[in-house]
Amino acid sequence: MKSPLLNLIPGDTYLHKLTGKTKVRAFVILLVYIIMSFDLRLILPLFIVGIIGLVSLRPEWKTLRYFFIVVAAVNLLNIVLFWLANPDIGAFWCGGSRTVLVSFTKRLFISLETLWYLSIRFLKMITSFLISMVFVLSITPSELAAGLYSIKVPYKICTIFSIAFRYIPDIGRDYENIKISMQARGVELDPKKVPLMDRIKQNVLILVPLIISSFERVGNISNAMDLRGYGRGKTRTYYCEHEEGKADKIFKAIYTGLLLFCAFWIVSRIIYPPPSKMWYPFS
Amino acid sequence: MKTTSQKILGVWNTKTVVAIAIGAALFGVLMNYGGIPVFTNTKLTTAMIIPVIVGAMFGALPAAVACAVGNLIADLIGGWGYWFDWSIGNGVLGFIVGLLPLYGANIDEGIFKPVHAIIYAVACVIGNALAFGVITPILTTLFYGGELEITFLQAMAAGLSNTLVLVIIGIPILILLARRNARGTDLKLEEKEVKEEQNI
Repeated sequence: MKSPLLNLIPGDTYLHKLTGKTKVRAFVILLVYIIMSFDLRLILPLFIVGIIGLVSLRPEWKTLRYFFIVVAAVNLLNIVLFWLANPDIGAFWCGGSRTVLVSFTKRLFISLETLWYLSIRFLKMITSFLISMVFVLSITPSELAAGLYSIKVPYKICTIFSIAFRYIPDIGRDYENIKISMQARGVELDPKKVPLMDRIKQNVLILVPLIISSFERVGNISNAMDLRGYGRGKTRTYYCEHEEGKADKIFKAIYTGLLLFCAFWIVSRIIYPPPSKMWYPFS
Repeated sequence: MKTTSQKILGVWNTKTVVAIAIGAALFGVLMNYGGIPVFTNTKLTTAMIIPVIVGAMFGALPAAVACAVGNLIADLIGGWGYWFDWSIGNGVLGFIVGLLPLYGANIDEGIFKPVHAIIYAVACVIGNALAFGVITPILTTLFYGGELEITFLQAMAAGLSNTLVLVIIGIPILILLARRNARGTDLKLEEKEVKEEQNI
C-alpha cells in the first residue's frame, strides 16, 4: 500500500502554493458548509468547484481512479443499506409526502422522496470526498500542522497530526515486509485460496508484529525529537509556513464570506425552521 | 510511579506525543484496510486494538486522542464523508478502554492478570454502550439532525463488532504484549546503590 495521496513535498500548482493556514481554514469552513445542509442548491456548486480544484492539481489519475471507484461503490452499498433499513426515510426528510414509484412488498418500496434524499446523500458524500481529496492532495503534513496551529489547536496535537500522516507510508512498507516474510515461511495469504475465518486469523498474525515494530520505534523518534529540543517552548513556529501571497488574500476573502454565510444559514434555520428538512422541488 | 491523574490524563512528553501519532496512523490505516464491512459505515475492524495498547502504555486520554485523530485520518483517506460524531464517540470509547492502568494492569511491566482481563471486558461493553449508545446518537442529532434510526442501527452494529474485536483479539494481544514486556522486568534499576555512591 504505497499511499499515492499523501505528498511530502509541496507541489507547484496554484492550490499547492497557498499557505497551510489558508488550506486548513478553507477546508474546515467547507466541511461546515457540506455538513450543515442536504440542499442540492448548496451542494451542487461545491461539487463543481471540487472537480475544478481537483483538475487544477494535476493529480495522477491512474491511482485516483481506483479510489473513486472504491468510494463510489462503498457509498452506493451504503445507500442500498440505508434504504433497506428504512425505505420510508424520504418522507421524514421531504415533509411527509410519499409518492411510491415501485413497490416490492408492503415494507420495501421506492418512493420519489426516498430516491431524492438518497441521491442527494450520495452527491453529498461524493462532494465531501472530492473536497477532502483536493485538501489531502494539496497539503503536506507540515503545512497541516502549521494550519491547525493557526486555528489555535495546541501544538502537541498538531505534531500528532503531522507525524501520523508522515508515518502512514511506513506502515504500508512494514506491512508489505511482514507479509512477504510470512509468505516465505509458508503462510498462505492469497485471499482467493483462503476461507474468511483463516483470513481474519492471518490478519491478526500480521497485525501483532506490525503493532509491536511500530511502537518500538516510538523511543527512537521521541529521542530524536527531544535531542532537537522539541517541547521546550510554549509556542511553536513552522518552517514551511511562508508569507501570505495574493492568492491567500483572495482565499481569505472567500472563506470569510463563506463562514458568515454558514453562520447565517445555521442560525436562520434554528430560528425559522423550514417546513421540510431538505429542499425538495416536487412537493 | 505514576499518580492516578497521570494514569488517566497521561504524561504529555515527547514520547507520548509520538506514540499517539503512531497509534493514530495505525488506527487510520487499519480502519480502512484491516476490516470487514458489517453494516453501513461500520466494520469489524482490527483498528480497535490501538486504543487498548496506547491506553495500556500511556493512559486513557492519549488513547482517546489517538482514537479520535485516527478516526479523522481514516475519514480523510477513506472518503466516506466526515462523521465527527463518530470520531468523538470513538474518542470516548478509547478513553474508557484506555483506562487499563487505572485498575492495575501495567503492560509496560508485564502485569496483566485474569482479573484485569475480566474488568477490561466489562469496560469494553460499558464503553461501547456509552460511546455508541448515548454519545454518538446525541451528537448525530445535534450535528446532522434526524437519522436517529440509522445511527442506532449503525451504533448497535459498531458496538457489537467493536466489543467482539476488543475482547476476542484485544485480550490475547494484551497478554502477548505483557508477556513480551515481562522479560525485561527482572532487570531493576538499583536506585539505592546509585544514591549511596553519590553520597560517598
